[in-house]
Amino acid sequence: MSESPSTAPPVDATDEPRPAKPSIARQLSARPQIVLIAVLVGLIVVTAIIEPNYLSLAGLRNSAFFAVPIGVLAAGQTILMLTGGIDLSIAMIATASAYVAANQSPNGAVIAIAVGLLVGLAAGTANGIGVGVLRVNPLIMTIAMSGILLGLFTGWATTIFAGSTRMHDFIITLGRGTFFDGNVPWSVVVWIGVSILVLLLLRRTGYGRNLYAVGDNAIAARLSGMRSWQVLVVAYGISGLLGAVAGLLMGGRIGAVDLQLAGFLLLPSVAAAVIGGTSIFGGVGTYTGTILGALILGVVQSMLTFLGAGQAVQQVLYGTIVVGLSWMYMRLAAAQ
Amino acid sequence: MTLPTAHQSLLSTEGIAKSYGSIVALRSVDISVASGEIHALLGANGAGKSTLVKILSGVFDSDAGSMTISGSAVNLKGPGDATDAGIATVFQDPALIPDLSLDQNLTISGLRHSDVAPWLERMQLAELDFGLLVRDIPLATLRLVDLARALAHDPQLLMLDEITAALTPEQTDRVFDVMREWKRMNRSVLFISHRLGEVLKICDVATILRNGRDVAHLDLTGVDEAELVTSMLGAELARESMSISRDAAPVQGAVTDTDNDVVLRVTDLQYRDKINGVSFELRRGEILGVTALEGQGQSELFSLLSGDHRPTSGEIEISGERLSARSPYDAIRKGLVLVPGNRHEALLPQRSIRENLATPLYNRIGRWFSLVGDESERVDSVVTRLDIDTRAASQVGRLSGGNQQKVTLGRWLVSDFEVLLCFDPTRGIDIQTKAQIYELLREIAAEGAAVLMYSSELREIPLVCDRVLVMYGGSIVHEQDAGTATEEVLLTAAHGLKSAQA
Amino acid sequence: MTAVNTTVEAKSAPTRSWRRWAQRHGWTVGIWMLLVFLVVWYSTLIPRFGGFQFSTIINGGTAWIFLAAAQAVVVIAGGLDLGVGGLLVLTSATAAQFMDGQPLAVAVVMAVVILIGSAILNGIVGWVVAVSKVPDIVVTLGSLYIYQGLALMMLPKVGGGSSDGFRWLFTGSATGIGTNPWPAVVMITVPIAVAAWWMGRTPSGLSLYAVGSDETAAFLSGVNAVRTKIVSYAVAGAFVAIAGFSTLAIAGVGNATTEGGTLTLNSVAAVVLGGVVLTGGAGSLVAVVPAALILFFFNPILSALGVNPNQAQVIQGVLLVFVMAIAGLIELRRRRRS
Repeated sequence: MSESPSTAPPVDATDEPRPAKPSIARQLSARPQIVLIAVLVGLIVVTAIIEPNYLSLAGLRNSAFFAVPIGVLAAGQTILMLTGGIDLSIAMIATASAYVAANQSPNGAVIAIAVGLLVGLAAGTANGIGVGVLRVNPLIMTIAMSGILLGLFTGWATTIFAGSTRMHDFIITLGRGTFFDGNVPWSVVVWIGVSILVLLLLRRTGYGRNLYAVGDNAIAARLSGMRSWQVLVVAYGISGLLGAVAGLLMGGRIGAVDLQLAGFLLLPSVAAAVIGGTSIFGGVGTYTGTILGALILGVVQSMLTFLGAGQAVQQVLYGTIVVGLSWMYMRLAAAQ
Repeated sequence: MTLPTAHQSLLSTEGIAKSYGSIVALRSVDISVASGEIHALLGANGAGKSTLVKILSGVFDSDAGSMTISGSAVNLKGPGDATDAGIATVFQDPALIPDLSLDQNLTISGLRHSDVAPWLERMQLAELDFGLLVRDIPLATLRLVDLARALAHDPQLLMLDEITAALTPEQTDRVFDVMREWKRMNRSVLFISHRLGEVLKICDVATILRNGRDVAHLDLTGVDEAELVTSMLGAELARESMSISRDAAPVQGAVTDTDNDVVLRVTDLQYRDKINGVSFELRRGEILGVTALEGQGQSELFSLLSGDHRPTSGEIEISGERLSARSPYDAIRKGLVLVPGNRHEALLPQRSIRENLATPLYNRIGRWFSLVGDESERVDSVVTRLDIDTRAASQVGRLSGGNQQKVTLGRWLVSDFEVLLCFDPTRGIDIQTKAQIYELLREIAAEGAAVLMYSSELREIPLVCDRVLVMYGGSIVHEQDAGTATEEVLLTAAHGLKSAQA
Repeated sequence: MTAVNTTVEAKSAPTRSWRRWAQRHGWTVGIWMLLVFLVVWYSTLIPRFGGFQFSTIINGGTAWIFLAAAQAVVVIAGGLDLGVGGLLVLTSATAAQFMDGQPLAVAVVMAVVILIGSAILNGIVGWVVAVSKVPDIVVTLGSLYIYQGLALMMLPKVGGGSSDGFRWLFTGSATGIGTNPWPAVVMITVPIAVAAWWMGRTPSGLSLYAVGSDETAAFLSGVNAVRTKIVSYAVAGAFVAIAGFSTLAIAGVGNATTEGGTLTLNSVAAVVLGGVVLTGGAGSLVAVVPAALILFFFNPILSALGVNPNQAQVIQGVLLVFVMAIAGLIELRRRRRS
């Protein structure tokens, strides 16, 4: 609803409306990522108060180890949420990929990684066909996929994949190795690479535009000539691939694989995207926000560890913090 | 203020204001509805009518201002409060739950069938099956049911927001009867309509909104449409808009009768029981109008042409090639592009103007992994050409209706096309933007493309089109030169009646 | 494109009402028939099918039914509750802690207190969903974590137990094993029937459908969406508590380390199989009951067929996708026709 029928001269299309005197609250809500950064810094400070040694490269490295797999999984989750979908099988895909990679590790790192990624791509694409072509609700499709993979791998664990459950040394280096005197984990480098690709994809390519369009208004996307099913199959495929990358990193960090490898990362992967401002209904969100969300969750994890709380208390706090942060973000978004 | 006037006034507001974020919808509105009057609320698009209705009905809270009903101040916290205070509203979109039956809908509102039955009878809907799910009932019927439900609450003030938009003339008359009866009972009606003819016919007084303020309070006796338009738009704009005419020279010169110029040929098109043997030709440089009453197959025709549905039989030929579309993509690739009637089916509301305009550039897989940087020039030139208001550029959903329509049209100027299919492109937008759209369509045709345009407003046919087709019952029943098409002739044909002229 | 058809199709009344009935209740009838078919088939697969087998199915299915019903209530109101599995673990752990060896009267009082507590707790989750605007998936994944954590705090080690009388209520036997299915049948039928009546006939129950179907229209009809959402989650909480009691009654011992997530996934699958539309507004508890039983029944059937449980899980997943794809296709055809 504009004030008068277009008497203003046309200006640059990216120009924002400028209220005369923006309040601080409004300024903040216009740039929610500043708030996320503030939250991140705040959490780091709180953690440092709990455990003064945290404020060292080694301490922060600890958080990075938590944040990396969440960040990679959440990249897949972000891409799918932009289309209005979600992948509840992503943690299981990660596990399955890692499992196969471990099994193939005796054949060398290249084969292990390639086969692992292929598993992720295949499972993701199958999700995409279910959602895009067969039009199964994404929630159901991915829940079913999760069950299917769990069933298959529980059976296969003692049969065709009965061999190695140990990751190849190269993958282990990627997962938990460091450089610069042990201060910078290799997994962070992998994450940075993934981030650059995902950011490029979302912000700079035609495919990125398709993703946002399909999620914002599927009918409009169709009427302007997009074929949603193609967009979706590729999106779920990419998400599966990212799941596999995260699975390899997780497997590398632990060193060996089992079927509970990545399951606990499901909530964080969804939460990182939501905290980062991606709408679960599609059309709105950035991977930059998700990265911040993943970092925040990484710090929270460190904090809970330092508190020395038992598993039960950790679970309760983690759930509460995730919901609380999401709520805070929603309030900011609503203020805008 | 003296006591008697305060008594007489059923509802009055003072300084009602409302903003959505940085966008101001209502600045300050004073309106006073007296008992026993039919009061029109008028204004161009974006003037704030709908927002005001939603505040008066308790849907939105106002940011400022006060409201009194029958002399006592009220503070409505929800639609339920408004009903209790004696205000019942029929909203633009029926407030009925699609997945429930009519009976169940009544249960939710705390009504029984016997409460609405007399009113339904008045609207000749006594036969209506209340076991039907709302989603299976036509929109026009739902509007009337919604009205009956509002009446069953026995309100002092009845608010009708664009109730006549989807109704047939007969149904409209029945609504008018009810409004008159309400007036006889010394109660009031607040009537919102784009159709000024209806307003002058039924309303006693009018409050006119412009830019979120009440700019005029008129007694409607002896007022004509021109005066209403003047106060809705302000004097200067009104002069401009009333002078919309076909100043551009007729383009027929460009249209020759050779077969080569036929860009779209439709032969014996059939679609279920909705379209029965439609054939026509469209030439380069031509604007072909289509008009019809609601539901005569026109929306199906456009959806077949745009590739959204497949015809049961018959052929669509574009530039000599047969169109066999599995999705709109195939039609778009051949140059057949659609501006849908409902803007919600065209826009990405949460994305920017730029992204909306550029959407068709990336629908080919070959373009998926191209970088988006090279689009700026094309997008910017379209923004300039269409004079799109870019103050809310980051979210198209926040633009006014007129600007949204420009974006849906502009998308196809950014890409390329042979034939532009426009379904009611000026529905519900302000007069100024209408004029801009007329001009744009003529330019497009002059540049050698072809336009097929459905319009529900008969008067715009001669303003824009070269030739006009009238549809009735899924067939084309009438064709003539648009320049000579009077509303009367078109309306006669649209009702399926043979006219003496033609 | 908006196709407005102003004429109501005139069809002869009996055809119309038959069609409508078939359209509305076809899924329910079909799913009950499928259940009957599976039971009959199962009875031919195993050497003996009698009261024991029957009560095993009913008793074991009780928790599945109530978990699915809980999910159904929330989904119909337009939400989703991934926390139900965790809440089941929490309620059964709590019951195990406090009911162990108590007389029936005390156990029933305990049960009522836990049931109300569970409803309030999940009602709070519903309040967060409604007020915060955080997507229900995120809030309830969070509540899943929280419930599991709370359950572990309540019952750190496998232990506690039920009361004999209470076990009888859910299993027809004080030991949890027996041949009398009727107490369980009553425990299932009464709450489900009451809830189904409430949801189909009363303004407050129909509000669930209204909010799930079209929140704006519901608001304009005077329905309080926030209150309705809270109610839906609270009712779900109460159902989950019953599922928790049943689980404890059968196991006889509490276990807080059970994976709540898997239980949740089963409930979502049952809801979908029961014809409840995931976007809300449509569906019926009457169809969810047999759907839950069928899913529970799946493993015994497959094991009777000699299929190992891992493959059963795979088959179940594939079948779920298959059912959804078919349902989607039917819906698509129906829309195209209208």
